[in-house]
Amino acid sequence: MAAAATQGGRSGGLGGNSGAGGGSNCGTGSGRSGLLDKWKIDDKPVKIDKWDGSAVKNSLDDSAKKVLLEKYKYVENFGLIDGRLTICTISCFFAIVALIWDYMHPFPESKPVLALCVISYFVMMGILTIYTSYKEKSIFLVAHRKDPTGMDPDDIWQLSSSLKRFDDKYTLKLTFISGRTKQQREAEFTKSIAKFFDHSGTLVMDAYEPEISRLHDSLAIERKIK
Amino acid sequence: MLSLDFLDDVRRMNKRQLYYQVLNFGMIVSSALMIWKGLMVITGSESPIVVVLSGSMEPAFHRGDLLFLTNRVEDPIRVGEIVVFRIEGREIPIVHRVLKIHEKQNGHIKFLTKGDNNAVDDRGLYKQGQHWLEKKDVVGRARGMQCSFCWVYLCWFIVSKKPALLFLGRCHTFRYWMFGVDTGL
Repeated sequence: MAAAATQGGRSGGLGGNSGAGGGSNCGTGSGRSGLLDKWKIDDKPVKIDKWDGSAVKNSLDDSAKKVLLEKYKYVENFGLIDGRLTICTISCFFAIVALIWDYMHPFPESKPVLALCVISYFVMMGILTIYTSYKEKSIFLVAHRKDPTGMDPDDIWQLSSSLKRFDDKYTLKLTFISGRTKQQREAEFTKSIAKFFDHSGTLVMDAYEPEISRLHDSLAIERKIK
Repeated sequence: MLSLDFLDDVRRMNKRQLYYQVLNFGMIVSSALMIWKGLMVITGSESPIVVVLSGSMEPAFHRGDLLFLTNRVEDPIRVGEIVVFRIEGREIPIVHRVLKIHEKQNGHIKFLTKGDNNAVDDRGLYKQGQHWLEKKDVVGRARGMQCSFCWVYLCWFIVSKKPALLFLGRCHTFRYWMFGVDTGL
């Protein structure tokens, strides 16, 4: 039963694959590019375990991201995410250095290097905690709208969300920062996740997308009036 | 391509999210590793937390107990203290009590150990021709104890890279020793 549903989903996905230049995808699949296209399932309906809170939040976040990036054609800015990845990579690097050094020079000689690595690791953990709490603040998307005239700096749209543990109320907040005036405007909505998922755990984009568009338009219209 | 539904979450992730998942896993492992290395640096011993594996120190230590070790250079070794030592050629350290000490003027020490629950001293366990232990054989001093049983065996496999402590000297093992058979617990 699961296999049949997947087959139906895949053929539906291929059939509706207009936006991503999918003409060449149908059936020819030459070598590596064909395999990669089959791996990506951007157009398959999102189906998750509806009782898993983090999966629900992630799928809602990803879909909101998709709407903003594909419908309004904004460009994603990876600055925040890259910062977090860099801090984590540096911490793991310290851990690996400590491991290898201790292996090459057995314990008593490696004491100063070990002490340095351990202290640096915990300092990096502290920095990571401060970064995620104060700078990132549950923002999962930073998108730029390039100014069509090319003269003014970009407008920035930020998406952040929250879903409390074992709660069904999902809050999505959209922040608009004007490039020219540097003013900040926000709009948010709080809805039960039951409004967006059907009983089998599939995210119904027809119910979700209008919400996002409404949020976006409310901020965009205010901008035009001002 | 096989239709593997459980991989859908992975397929939906972009490169950055995948890398972040890998990093997350790496950070969990690194945290455990760094805590262990930090304990090593603080206590100064190679194996700061060890598990008692045999019953040769009853009633002080029972099998399954956790011991916290320190290895400060300035601590003097005195008769009656419990020390953790490693015999040359054996990987697993032993925790027994100091019985006799010979001390020279310059501070050089030779000492003899015995398990509380053993009938004889440890000379049978030392290397061939070795009758005394020296400071360089000492791995640490037992400082604190935590009584726990089964879960400690699990922790042993997960936490320590080298084999945990072994209390040699159960009576039947020692009898095998006399006949030259190395049971090598």
